[in-house]
Amino acid sequence: MNVSPVNTPRGIDRRRLLQLGGALAATTSLAACSGSGSAGTGGAGDKNKGSLTVWSWQGPATALKALVPEFRRKHPGIEVTVEDIGNPAIWDKITTAMAAGGEGLADVLHIGVDYLPGYTEKFPEGLADLGELGAAKYRGAFAPGLWRTVSPTGSRVNALPWEANSAGFWYRADLFEKAGVDAGALATWDDVVEAGKKIKADTGTRLIGIDKPASQADAANFFQMLLQLQGAFYFNADGDITLDSPEAVRAMKIIKRMNDSGLVSDFSGGWNTMVSSLKKSTVAVQPMPTWFGGVIEREVPQQKGKWRVQLPPAVRPGGSRSATVNSTHLAVAGSSPHQAAAWTFVEYVLTRPASQARIYRDQAIAPALMKAYDDAAFHEPSAYFGGQKRGEVFLKALKAPSPSFTYSSDYARALKVVTDAQTRVLLKGADPAGALHDAADRLGKQTGRKVVR
Amino acid sequence: MSAVLHKPSTVSEPLAAAGAKRGGPRGRLAPYLFILPALVLFAAFKLYPIGWSFVLSLHKTVGGVDTFVGGENYRRLVDDPLFWTALKNTAVVLAVQVPVMLALATGLAVALNSAILRGRSVFRLGFFLPMVTGLVAYGIMFSVLLHQEYGLVNWFLGLFGSDGIPWLTDPLWAKISIGFVLTWHYTGYNAVILLARLQTVPAELYDAAAVDGAGPWHSFRHVTLPGLRPALLLTTVLSTIGTLQLFDEPYILTGGGPDNATLTIGVYLYQTAFKYFDFGYASAIAYVLAVLIGLLGIVQFRVLGDRS
Repeated sequence: MNVSPVNTPRGIDRRRLLQLGGALAATTSLAACSGSGSAGTGGAGDKNKGSLTVWSWQGPATALKALVPEFRRKHPGIEVTVEDIGNPAIWDKITTAMAAGGEGLADVLHIGVDYLPGYTEKFPEGLADLGELGAAKYRGAFAPGLWRTVSPTGSRVNALPWEANSAGFWYRADLFEKAGVDAGALATWDDVVEAGKKIKADTGTRLIGIDKPASQADAANFFQMLLQLQGAFYFNADGDITLDSPEAVRAMKIIKRMNDSGLVSDFSGGWNTMVSSLKKSTVAVQPMPTWFGGVIEREVPQQKGKWRVQLPPAVRPGGSRSATVNSTHLAVAGSSPHQAAAWTFVEYVLTRPASQARIYRDQAIAPALMKAYDDAAFHEPSAYFGGQKRGEVFLKALKAPSPSFTYSSDYARALKVVTDAQTRVLLKGADPAGALHDAADRLGKQTGRKVVR
Repeated sequence: MSAVLHKPSTVSEPLAAAGAKRGGPRGRLAPYLFILPALVLFAAFKLYPIGWSFVLSLHKTVGGVDTFVGGENYRRLVDDPLFWTALKNTAVVLAVQVPVMLALATGLAVALNSAILRGRSVFRLGFFLPMVTGLVAYGIMFSVLLHQEYGLVNWFLGLFGSDGIPWLTDPLWAKISIGFVLTWHYTGYNAVILLARLQTVPAELYDAAAVDGAGPWHSFRHVTLPGLRPALLLTTVLSTIGTLQLFDEPYILTGGGPDNATLTIGVYLYQTAFKYFDFGYASAIAYVLAVLIGLLGIVQFRVLGDRS
């Protein structure tokens, strides 16, 4: 809406048409500047020399920054600048830079499992093949299943795993106690709903928070976790759509029951709202993955001793209580002229147990590197969490068999139809089965993928 | 262009002589040289992307390879429910917000033009200031103001016992909020354009109207409005173009939600290109949008333009 006026018009003459044309041009060139494809114009360079830029977000970015001085002592020839781009802003920034053929892209990129397949499919040269730089020897070093995520075909290595996040159940022990609820006795999410009603009645606090109008792309995190606990996902291993499976309907029904009972606080606005809610103690449970412990400790130090963590209850009696809900990775840009130096940095951060232990102490980010868990950091009682050994809680989950989930290159689209369906259920009282059925059909039409029922 | 530059002179004798007096072929070259920089920039940054995005709109990317699919992207558009939702949302803004805003802007222009108003420049500046506020900055400002639980507006309403309004989280209220924000941002801008035109309306016309016994309403209706006609056309066309390209406000405030209630074509185009990496389809959306803007522009010129 910023087309500046030039003259007072009198009718359609050539000048007027030109102005109009200019406005049209602005529209069409928005799409065109995206271009397509991407050039892997970079090169390996010297593995001990170069100036690197690293893109990450919030906690992980802070952890990386803290690691840079000791890295520089070992590799004085490599300069490292860590930039905290923010999440979800980082995804758009990577996309546009890759679409521009790597123009303005950092050398090292922190990429989540949700975006990795999309980038590698749309921009085949966007990420450097770490296999060529020496990554193949770490094939067995990471949590089970993660190598398939970074190297789906087994030849090219697109990235190296950093975090392996397991589903968690962070709860306010003080509120649970006040309501007389024993968290350890909660076997299923049905039990949680009943407990939630009691907590609300006795303390006035709601059970959980959900971004009901889906103001952010990750508004369906909780739904997705309930799905993953059942070993199900939006796509099956063949990439077909399964988002209206019985498991999905069951998960959405749990959410609807919570909402209908007034147990769900609205987290619209995303991260900032969630943090405000932490500070104001408006919810009793945060069904968030491993990394969330670091966030609580950092954001609400005054609530020390009030929080505890355990693995989430099962969706069905006797069902699984652990799931690796997501992982993040470090990749090297295909356009980087310092790929070898970037690999030196990635290798230093991700494959040295000492680096990962330090990151864990610093930001409570759980590594995918299994050897790191030998460090005492993962077995110490945490004063903040009332002496709980929370590292061991999640290590148990990480060691349990967890199915691997196919995110596919259409994950962003799937997320959109899922969050829309969830919004309809939460704000308009839609029927979970019907809303998910429509969502699956819509996704099938958009992507050309088969809907399996 | 070179064909034009080296065209042999076919003009008649006296005219050719006149041309010779101005410096001959070199004189005729000069104007082209003067517009050359603008032309080159236009070609590189407008013409080329416009052309390329059309080529893109005929392609589909599968596994990193662009394949030619002809009109498939356009066919897909026809039965894409989200595209129609976006179009409908845009039409609602166009039909409701634009007229309201322009009416407000006209009233504001008349008020700011009034001789009895003191401190006119302060008011003019005040109403124009929203326009120079950065889009993202004011988007974030409104998202803080309008937040349902932590927002200032609902806190204020709470003082009067209201439960608070779901400004951005209810489909209908979200539309209203977007309209409200747009009005806040662009009314002053349009009022300034109208005001500039208003000041060119000769005072004698008002005197004549007064002599003929016209009251304030009649002189507004028969002198001010006809005088404003060209500026009204301009602001209508600009607002229409701006509305059809509406992006920043819904993107920052609602992300197109809840449940696509504030999805505009601009937001959908952006999501398609930069979230789903579907550049071909996004280009097709851009082209359809461009054609729509062109058609609406022509209609508005026909309806509001000077008939002379």
